Amino acid sequence: MSSETPFQINIPDEKLSILRAKLELATFPDELEDIGWNHGPPLADMKRLTERWRNGYNWRKYEKELNQELPMFTRDIGVDGFGALNIHYVHKKSKTVDAIPLLFCHGWPGSFLEIRGMLSLLTASSPEHPSFHVVALSLPGFGFSEGAHKPGFALDQYAEVAHKLMIALGYNEYVTQGGDWGFLITRRMASKYGGKHHKAWHTNFPMADPPSWKSPLSFLSFLLTPWSAEEKAGLERTAWYRTKSSGYFVEQSTFPQTLAYGFTDSPVALLGWFYEKLVIWTDDHKWTDDEALTWISIYWFSRAGPGAAHRIYSEVHGDFYNLGRTSYPTIPMGASYFPKELLLLPSAWLRRLNNVVIESHHKSGGHFAAYERPEELVEDVRKMFAKGGPAFAIVPGRSGYA
Amino acid sequence: MSSETPFQINVPDEKLTALRATLELATFPDELEDAGWKYGPPLADMKRLAERWRNEYDWRKYEKEINEELPMFTRDIDVDGFSTLNIHYVHKKSESVDAIPLLFCHGWPGSFLEVRKILPLLTASAPEHPSFHVVALSLPGFGFSEAPRKQGFGINQYAEVAHKLMIALGYNEYVTQGGDWGGLITRKMASVYGGRHHKAWHTNFPIAEPPSWKSPLFFLSFLLTPWSAEEKAGLERTMWFRTKGRGYFTQQSTQPQTLGYSLADSPVGLLAWIYEKLVLWTDNYNWSDDEGSGDIAFPDIAHSIEIVLTWVSLYWFSRAGPAASLRIYFELRGDCEDIGQSPCIPMGASFFPKELIVLPAAWLRKSNNVVSESHHKTGGHFAATERPDELVQDVRKMFAQGSPAFAIIPGRTGYA
Repeated sequence: MSSETPFQINIPDEKLSILRAKLELATFPDELEDIGWNHGPPLADMKRLTERWRNGYNWRKYEKELNQELPMFTRDIGVDGFGALNIHYVHKKSKTVDAIPLLFCHGWPGSFLEIRGMLSLLTASSPEHPSFHVVALSLPGFGFSEGAHKPGFALDQYAEVAHKLMIALGYNEYVTQGGDWGFLITRRMASKYGGKHHKAWHTNFPMADPPSWKSPLSFLSFLLTPWSAEEKAGLERTAWYRTKSSGYFVEQSTFPQTLAYGFTDSPVALLGWFYEKLVIWTDDHKWTDDEALTWISIYWFSRAGPGAAHRIYSEVHGDFYNLGRTSYPTIPMGASYFPKELLLLPSAWLRRLNNVVIESHHKSGGHFAAYERPEELVEDVRKMFAKGGPAFAIVPGRSGYA
Repeated sequence: MSSETPFQINVPDEKLTALRATLELATFPDELEDAGWKYGPPLADMKRLAERWRNEYDWRKYEKEINEELPMFTRDIDVDGFSTLNIHYVHKKSESVDAIPLLFCHGWPGSFLEVRKILPLLTASAPEHPSFHVVALSLPGFGFSEAPRKQGFGINQYAEVAHKLMIALGYNEYVTQGGDWGGLITRKMASVYGGRHHKAWHTNFPIAEPPSWKSPLFFLSFLLTPWSAEEKAGLERTMWFRTKGRGYFTQQSTQPQTLGYSLADSPVGLLAWIYEKLVLWTDNYNWSDDEGSGDIAFPDIAHSIEIVLTWVSLYWFSRAGPAASLRIYFELRGDCEDIGQSPCIPMGASFFPKELIVLPAAWLRKSNNVVSESHHKTGGHFAATERPDELVQDVRKMFAQGSPAFAIIPGRTGYA
């Protein structure tokens, strides 16, 4: 077992120079009249962001902030068949000695950054609510984690890395919180390591298979029950995502390397592809330019390069559409529903197939819940593990109370 | 009606300089071990292509060749509801006075350049076969044609531009040849202008509705007839395209501008996006040997692959920029999902095994007036480039003496 090395982000000056040199040469397309957001981010937004990034945006300032705010480390994690990968992660312990070990798992185009709003809340000690020791890793190929070097690094491997990291940190039993790929990865962890190590899981991206005629009673009730207003809105949002906002998914699942060439060569390419999602996947989150640029700079300056992270789509392709391929996890599950999430399915479908012990339905918030609604999400997680809550003391000896 | 202006491509020096400066800064991703073509163009290919483009590739040389080889013009075409668009096109007359006027219509990521190899063959005069006066336009937003400035420029508008160009050139009656978007656009022309002006259409991208239970006998025969080997292979190819090959289509038809920022700012990004299709959509076409003797398993990039760079440069240096060419996918997406009623005018179809959608010919015959069809053993999506002789053979066959579409244009048999 490798030891832990403290980590500070320190992007070499040369990389900053290259970025600036490319931004100096930035070339833009034209735009149709009155197009707004119909075809992608508006030209005015893109020009403004590019100009800010080129001149005015101060990466060193935000790099310093991250270094001061987030205790970060790296360590080698061995992955069966893939050798050791050097993994970057945030690790902050609560003052409460018996806090619950919690792994936060991000997705795409997210990152370890998404823990920022929740970290102090989750680790806060109080007699009134449980607290957590928090680990937030950069998935292999994302942030400052090494990426896999050969094909076949799929859901089992991502789950293995996350699990082994918790074990390496001495957390033999732990819980998880995740959305987007974090949902699928923590779900796989629940199937593989659930019970013995992985004790409970919470997600803000609850996905479930629809009822099928193979379960006649459930299917019948599905056919007969009228949708609630929330469910209708959810299904509309889901239809919008599937018909208007899935191009990236199909391309990344089939030809990730084709995309990688553009992302690696052009910061403007990366900016356009990512900024579009930051805006249309959130619930009207008012991104400041610097906020968006920091988010995207993490990808531009990432250890594996901006072309690596989205390989997860093609490597995990089969698992995304077939949730039933592994058995449904049995450990307690918590679900948070935010109305501007991308896939919003009736919660009955989730309850039918998972051991859902708690759920919350929010009136606002979108895909990046930890970022948009940190207090609400922390509230949901605390409730799950609170005294009297359905998963209280699920990790024996670690109630999380001061 | 506007008059015709001769056109020569003359990309400003400053654009060549800017391209070189951007290529000087090119940075590349890593690659998974033994990735081959599994995830996109291999890194080694991309580095060699980018380096060639940066350093030895001489755009002026190819610009000059195209200018000398293809008689080109521009003229203004009015489009109802969209104002005037300045349209770029190739126009070459045959020596046969009564040659058949033919419009060649390209698609994406094709261009007017795709007419290069078939142009001398189509216009050639001979007593043995018909000949053609050829017009090959750059679609609005492609090549050196102006692009529309507002939303809603749909298939009717593309068809209108193509039709009005032929009329403006004095070709009151004409035939067409097209693939990819060219296939869909000429199909729309056939529906709107067919009979009176548009007399017959040939395509190497024959699409058809599958049989439905609404035509019970046909549906039954569809269910009961075993597939031929050719049909099986065609359906496998179609399945490949539908499951593995639709990323670009889905992106371009939903968020074209998002992708447009990448294609406009990164020549390497544009190169990857197009080169991937030039290889995967062709039938092992050896782009390094543009004489078309493509029997080699994958293009040998050690040889000159400058034709790839010329195709990509055309998009990079296009009048409207590369992002504009994507918008056709957004505007015509509905037309792809519901192709509507088939035209009545005589149709010719060429089936190439590595086309992207290869459907049983019976489906095509069911709902179209198919008068001529050919089934080839090799060739892919870019038929005019990969198999120019075969394609021209097919077009000549359709209008030959004794064929159903012979002299479809009164007084224009096309024979010397």
